[in-house]
Amino acid sequence: MKNKEKGRKRVLWGFIYVCVFVVAFAVSAIIKMTYNPLSGEMQVNWNDSVGRVYTDIAYGEKEKNKFDLYVPADHTKKTYGLVVYLHAGGFTSGDKSDDADMLKWLCSKGYVAAGINYTLRDNNNSKTSVYTMSQEIKNSIPVVKAEAEKLGYNLDRMAISGGSAGGTLALLYAYRDADTSPIPIKMVFEMVGPSSFYPEDWTTYGLDQSPEAAANLFSVMSGNTITTDMIGTPKYEEVIKDISPYMWIDKNAVPTLAAYGRYDKVCPFGTVKHLVNALEKNNVPHDYIEFPHSGHGLQNDTKLSAKYIEKINEYLERYMGSK
Amino acid sequence: MTLIQKRIVILIVVIIVAAVLGRLAVRAFLNFMLGGTLFGGNFL
Repeated sequence: MKNKEKGRKRVLWGFIYVCVFVVAFAVSAIIKMTYNPLSGEMQVNWNDSVGRVYTDIAYGEKEKNKFDLYVPADHTKKTYGLVVYLHAGGFTSGDKSDDADMLKWLCSKGYVAAGINYTLRDNNNSKTSVYTMSQEIKNSIPVVKAEAEKLGYNLDRMAISGGSAGGTLALLYAYRDADTSPIPIKMVFEMVGPSSFYPEDWTTYGLDQSPEAAANLFSVMSGNTITTDMIGTPKYEEVIKDISPYMWIDKNAVPTLAAYGRYDKVCPFGTVKHLVNALEKNNVPHDYIEFPHSGHGLQNDTKLSAKYIEKINEYLERYMGSK
Repeated sequence: MTLIQKRIVILIVVIIVAAVLGRLAVRAFLNFMLGGTLFGGNFL
């Protein structure tokens, strides 16, 4: 009888241990998924005393040709700096609203901030390429300037930024289109945006093993017809140049802050060296932050994420002027 | 050590192990999707 009772208790406690394990496991996983130790750094209590947002202002005829403009509450200054932030999404998804917190944070620092949508590559837009997206961004800036002016904000300097696909588009505008920008570009900051398109670097997609796959993917991305026999020739450099930010870097390129993850599978890490080498070779003021344990989400190096935010502040202050 | 004390110690160990494994599981999933090392960096 006593043994039976003992056995029952053992089973009961075994059950309790299992339940406690499951609960602790789930709670810990949820906290890991939802808690960002750096979220407070960019948190803004958004209200009319900070700024106002004007959404879905059109800059072109296509459905996605819209931008959101965040303007600071203080409209007494003669001129303002513009900070553009371009959304991520692999050139096939994403929306300017994804970066609302970032845009509010930038606006809270006294800048006019703009989140710009661009036509994404999908079944309805099969002709869309990275090049056409970059052209849409280029076409949007004069409209952003005009709309800000209508609201009483004269823009005389500009920074451009983005993440992943948005990072590539930001770099393209900063290096390739700087000369024709209606607002002088002072700096670019971005993270994990592909800056070069050589098959040997795109190992995570197997493009180093398959010239056909490389030719197909980069044809789609560039909007040019690329054949396997072009790869590795000057002709290839020519057709890929329009979407390769690093190729546009010269000694006049704007100061650059860039962050990449060493284990990135989406923007292969092998692509980064071209950007960094070009910045160094041309003596462009830059900071390159490498996240040694992270992938595309820069998710495993919190201290370096904090450093990236610190550097954004430093760059904005140095090149765009503080409040 | 009394039986109650033993059970409390076991419970604490179970909670710690479960919490570590829970965080590691999320990290492993994110690394699988995005790339990254399982250890190193801001561990967990």
